[in-house]
Amino acid sequence: MKDLEFFRNATLGQYVDSPSRVHAFAPLTKYLGLLALAAPALASRTTYAALAVMALGLLVALAAGVRPAFLLRGLKPALPALALIMALQILLSWPGDASAALLRLGPIDVTVAELANSARIAARLAALMVTLGLFTATASESQIVHGIEDILAPLSRLGIPAHRLALVVGIAFRFIPILAGEAELIVKAQASRGADFGSGTRNPFRRVKAWLPVLVPLMLRALERSESLVEAMEARGYSGGLRSRLASYPAGRGEKALRIALVLFGSLSVFLASRAPSPWGT
Amino acid sequence: MKKSVVRKIVVAGVLSAVAAFLGLTRLGYIPWFSGASLTVMHVPAIVGAVLEGPVVGAVIGLVFGLTSLLQAAIAPTGPLDPAFVNPLISVLPRLLVGPAAFLAYAAFRGKLEIPALGLSGIVGSLVNTMLVVGALALFGFLTWDLFWPIVTANGLPEAGAAAIVNVAVVAAWKGVARRGGKASIAAEEDR
Repeated sequence: MKDLEFFRNATLGQYVDSPSRVHAFAPLTKYLGLLALAAPALASRTTYAALAVMALGLLVALAAGVRPAFLLRGLKPALPALALIMALQILLSWPGDASAALLRLGPIDVTVAELANSARIAARLAALMVTLGLFTATASESQIVHGIEDILAPLSRLGIPAHRLALVVGIAFRFIPILAGEAELIVKAQASRGADFGSGTRNPFRRVKAWLPVLVPLMLRALERSESLVEAMEARGYSGGLRSRLASYPAGRGEKALRIALVLFGSLSVFLASRAPSPWGT
Repeated sequence: MKKSVVRKIVVAGVLSAVAAFLGLTRLGYIPWFSGASLTVMHVPAIVGAVLEGPVVGAVIGLVFGLTSLLQAAIAPTGPLDPAFVNPLISVLPRLLVGPAAFLAYAAFRGKLEIPALGLSGIVGSLVNTMLVVGALALFGFLTWDLFWPIVTANGLPEAGAAAIVNVAVVAAWKGVARRGGKASIAAEEDR
């Protein structure tokens, strides 16, 4: 029953209120900062590069008055998944892996590339979690939606209704924790009626049959909730147009310069990472 | 049920959340014989397309594709995952799942409602499998000889699962709507 609680311990997505300079930035600047750190973290081909991104993220966190320990704690729920990924790295043999084997146990061999790759994945994940944690700690929920609207705004010149797309993304973000709660309720309700979730069975057909009673009610509950949201929005006079904002985010000259610097930093680091030699040595 | 822009926006958002949630918690992956898991993450795109039209289906497919791209980049769990960092493999095929399902549904809806729903589930799901496996082969991650074996071993059971879920969800949802014109949550609040 351990796996019934889906999102209980996630620190990701917790806003930390603090009167810092970083918190005062406009949502658009925060998004550019997120991209400037997340893109090199994703593109990094070496462990060091990923660790450098993480260190940078922690420095910004210090400046923002967010304790680094708070961000690092967010890594805890990801540890079992990380262990699984590293185990898979070592158990499977990867195409193009020509590095020396350190240890051989029957069909399983531990190669240098596999260990290096595991370290790189762990460092990347840590860098990304710290970056995302930093973002959600400094941007409130309404700022997250406003920022998406601002960042997609250039698309509206191409005739794509960017504000509607931003609203879709905003609603999706808002609904993920709600769905986690719904899924937990459904799984518990089915389990209390004696449902078998296929644990301990190797028969894939039984596993498939076990998923249907979760998936179907989950989607129906989601649709029901969307129906009440539609009624609430229409009752307040929303009909798909541009929404006005209570908060405005004027950006000074320094902040505009920072935005340009962030875009340059992000694209330069991705460019450099893409030119670095592949860890596979091919 | 009248079609409104607000409903399209909200349904796209909520079903995108379902797709992202299934991916994040790995609930959307069902372990299967062939080693590669079956996925039902494309089902929200099919349901969205059938309920609210092809654009909504494409938007949900976009979110699903981006989720799988991010997941492959952050936490690769199989030898093929590095391939999904390429948006031509992870995002583009998923954009077409919803519109294909909508076309299949639109061709038979009306009198043959249930078979139309089943067919749109099968078509949407097969479009997903064949385009993704085709893109993998095109970029050299797989050889073309593996195309039909994978489509048969994974694509057909996925199509079956998608058809069952699509029929169950949409038929139940439209039934709910027909009864009082209100969702049952709204009805609960009225009591």
